[in-house]
Amino acid sequence: MVRELLTELMEERLSDNGRIFWNKAQSELQEGAEGQGFAKLLALASRYAKRQPLGLTETELAAAEGALPGWSPRAWNRLELLRVNLILARPDLPGDSFERDFEAQFRFADEGETCALYRSIPLLPQGERFVWRATEACRTNMQTVFEAIALDSPYPVTHFDDTAWNQLVIKALFLDCPLYRVSGLDQRLSPELTRMALDWAEERHSAGRAYHLGLWLCLGPHDEARVLRLLTDHWPSASETERAAMVLAAERAGQQAWLASVEPQDPEVLPYWQNAKEGRSDQTQFAPLFADDHSAQ
Amino acid sequence: MQYFDPHIHMSSRTTDDYQNMAAAGIRAVIEPAFWMGQPRTNVGSFIDYFASLVGWERFRASQFGIAHYCTIGINSKEANNEGLAREALEILPNFALKEGVVAIGEIGYDEITPAEEYVYQRQLEFAVEHDMVVMVHSPHRDKKNGIIRSIDVAREAGVPMNKLVIDHNNEETVDDVLNSGAWAAFTIYPNTKMGSERMVEVVRKYGPERIIVDSSADWGVSDPLSVPKTANLMRERGIDEKAIELSCWGNALAAYAQSGQIDEEELAKPAVIDQRQSYNDNTVLRGQQPRVDEPVPN
Repeated sequence: MVRELLTELMEERLSDNGRIFWNKAQSELQEGAEGQGFAKLLALASRYAKRQPLGLTETELAAAEGALPGWSPRAWNRLELLRVNLILARPDLPGDSFERDFEAQFRFADEGETCALYRSIPLLPQGERFVWRATEACRTNMQTVFEAIALDSPYPVTHFDDTAWNQLVIKALFLDCPLYRVSGLDQRLSPELTRMALDWAEERHSAGRAYHLGLWLCLGPHDEARVLRLLTDHWPSASETERAAMVLAAERAGQQAWLASVEPQDPEVLPYWQNAKEGRSDQTQFAPLFADDHSAQ
Repeated sequence: MQYFDPHIHMSSRTTDDYQNMAAAGIRAVIEPAFWMGQPRTNVGSFIDYFASLVGWERFRASQFGIAHYCTIGINSKEANNEGLAREALEILPNFALKEGVVAIGEIGYDEITPAEEYVYQRQLEFAVEHDMVVMVHSPHRDKKNGIIRSIDVAREAGVPMNKLVIDHNNEETVDDVLNSGAWAAFTIYPNTKMGSERMVEVVRKYGPERIIVDSSADWGVSDPLSVPKTANLMRERGIDEKAIELSCWGNALAAYAQSGQIDEEELAKPAVIDQRQSYNDNTVLRGQQPRVDEPVPN
């Protein structure tokens, strides 16, 4: 279902030359193109599609969410869409030959190809085969590569163990990624994750540096005293955007008494406060606060 | 105005250089694959080096608003390690067709040995087969003869002359290159190769057609601001603005855009530093004083 959707999205956006390339590539893949032959298709795709945003419509976005909960191609570019389609068009996806060849592709992949390879992982059958590879993306120095595995994908929350999951979330916080796009964050807000986020906040405070907005998504109903202290201490100097995030965070962290006590006056904060008081504080509520998140469009 | 440095080894340069280059108006660079100052001992070193040219280094450049392209090739010096060179030739196709790879290069001759000729010819064949531009490094010693030979061999292999760039020219070689129909690139280097002043006179004498200025800055004493510095000296000495634009931007773009791997429309726009690709502190380019007032000395 996801495959059909991706092919549809791509075909509507391909140039005539791109369509010729895609048709030819499909037959090569059916005939068993792998190794260097497969790598060549992924590389040559750059001649037929550019790194332009997909510009998905609301209907298309909804179709994506419906096809695979927690997944969205909203931040993909056209070249990535073509490349993921090439990967998914291989006839041997469930087999050992694909598993070996998929791993081998990373050795020769450039930055754009690396992102596309990672974007395909949540869409591959028997996803558990690629857990090590997916955690490898979290060790990258390139934010584009990290986000290709970390955002808009149900893969990490489904397949990562606690160490890998916590590292992913805290790295996303470090890099100031839009954390509301880490799928399944709400389901895995563990005591350990809350502690790590609190420790990070203390380090930032000692260094005299501002908090990233993502901090307020990482606090679960744990470590009550520390969370309360953070909220109380930071509130007077917090920006309006931060205050909006903080009232949501308070509800998530079970700090109802503090939440009731703040009574914000600012019209920007007020709707979030009302939402929080009525228990609407899931991660999607934070989305409008990440206004400079151009990658999500 | 914005500048294109179509030959610079950024992997060997610091972030200070990137900052100064961006502040001086350098909008795009090409990083040709070359040797690392000491010989590689196994093919894995080539793989990781090529991978960094299309991966990490491109990403690094983007953080400063500089578009980074590269060329992939086995350099002439290391062609003499025959066993290793053959292994490297085998993995060349894994990198040469990638996004942003604008040519096969820098290839050609160093000592003009049969081993160098073999590797040069194989790479020319690959370029012809895949309709690619070729960037040729001309030798330091016996330069003139080396250039003539590299043009002849490229022509024999079927490389169209408008897809051939000969680099590291000087006053003695420029006639042969321009007469062949190839592009003539000049490396502006302190102490060796060309200085800015000589370059001004070359443009005055030959005009800007098919003339390209670059820095070839690397791990040695070299200057990543050679292109804007030379452009400024041309301006000071009365060279026509159009000629400056061609030799320091337009010609390199025209030559390498034949690869189909340069989005010219995108490049014409002012640099946008992708927030997601930038450092946490996005003010890295502020307050930099580019030192472009002094020309590169001869």
